[in-house]
Amino acid sequence: MRCRGVQGRLSAYRDGHLPAEEARAVGDHLASCVGCAERWRALRASLEMLGSLPRLPAAGIAVRVLDRLEVESRGPGLALLFLPFWAARPLILPSLVPAALVLVTVLAGAFALDQEMRPQSATIALSPAEQWAIGLPGTEGNPLFPSGEVSAPRIRARGRMPEARLAGQDGETTFFVETVVARDGSVAHVALLEGDSERARPYVDALREERFEPARLRGRPVAVSVYRLFSSMEVRSPAI
Amino acid sequence: MGAEMALSATDAVVPAASAEKGLIESCRRGDPQAFARLVALHEGMVFNLAARLLGDPEEARDLAQDVFLQVYRTLGRFQGRSSLKTWIYRIVVNQCRNRQRWWRRRQRSRSCPIDDLTPSDEAKLAGSDEPGDGPFERVRRREQSERVQKALLELSFDHRAILLLREVENLSCEEVAGTLGLPEGTVKSRLARAREALRQRLMPYVKELP
Repeated sequence: MRCRGVQGRLSAYRDGHLPAEEARAVGDHLASCVGCAERWRALRASLEMLGSLPRLPAAGIAVRVLDRLEVESRGPGLALLFLPFWAARPLILPSLVPAALVLVTVLAGAFALDQEMRPQSATIALSPAEQWAIGLPGTEGNPLFPSGEVSAPRIRARGRMPEARLAGQDGETTFFVETVVARDGSVAHVALLEGDSERARPYVDALREERFEPARLRGRPVAVSVYRLFSSMEVRSPAI
Repeated sequence: MGAEMALSATDAVVPAASAEKGLIESCRRGDPQAFARLVALHEGMVFNLAARLLGDPEEARDLAQDVFLQVYRTLGRFQGRSSLKTWIYRIVVNQCRNRQRWWRRRQRSRSCPIDDLTPSDEAKLAGSDEPGDGPFERVRRREQSERVQKALLELSFDHRAILLLREVENLSCEEVAGTLGLPEGTVKSRLARAREALRQRLMPYVKELP
């Protein structure tokens, strides 16, 4: 057997895996070839050194494993934040379940609040009366004012104004009235801010009958306050 | 499950097959004392194999914990076709390989870690001194252990694993094949290449030996 063949069989020779004939041939070669014998000696010495590596003391691992299992059995909690990555890794997934539940709850709460702040959205659950009661901006309980963003309501049907009666009074007569035009175009509220309430009653009644194209804020109808001034002054020709 | 249940048996004698079967059954039933015994029986071999494969005793200690947690969780799937020891060795090798890949992905190279080893790591990997050793013998043993460990860490992970299982853990080629999930013929040829690679790296040192 040649050197190359012997060197390829040294591992199997060491383990006793060669057939008897081959093992004898390798042994004969090693007895006669200095180079292969040196290689064989180095291989055996290397593996003996490897096999004689000292056993390292492993005390304490069992304690740590059992502690980890105990922690896992009651959930890691905030301890997860202080563990090194490799220690924390098996605990991350179980911890994600309660974390996900908390996240879903918070998101659901935020979503519900967001919906509450959009009184005109299609999914709103509050009735107009409820919206009035809680006074959201743009509702009848908390009307806006016509401005650059809020268009003014346009009148569609006027009430019957008692023109003759106002004109028949002596002297100067003034009513200052606040009208809340609701989101459906009706008049939700009329308040006399200045003037005689008895004289103003027919006008107030007439204002309640008015109907409007409602005011709009970014395309959606909103309730707005409209102020009206009724004033009449009798002018007589000077006595000649 | 309390930490006080842990037994302190390093490299304890692995029980006979029937006793091992009973231990596994007890662990499957959720007996914490049985699992504590299983850990104590195998912690030495798990830690030593991991320390030699990774070249880092602290990482090996962490990894040993992960190995036993995996054993605890998957013992129900252990079918007993191999010995428990072989099955645990397989978990150790797979976890070490995964951890090394993780290091590599994060540019933390451990494929050539000689320069990375701290003197403290080297001292730990060199092992404790034998009680009867004189000062010269102690120094020689330490130097030899350090050289072997360095040579091991220069090898590929597959060569390192096969050498440690065969030469240090003294598994048969058949057991190594079962542990690594390879055909026995592949184990023998890979073992021959790994032995040759180790010989080449230790050659300068071996030449100095008497």
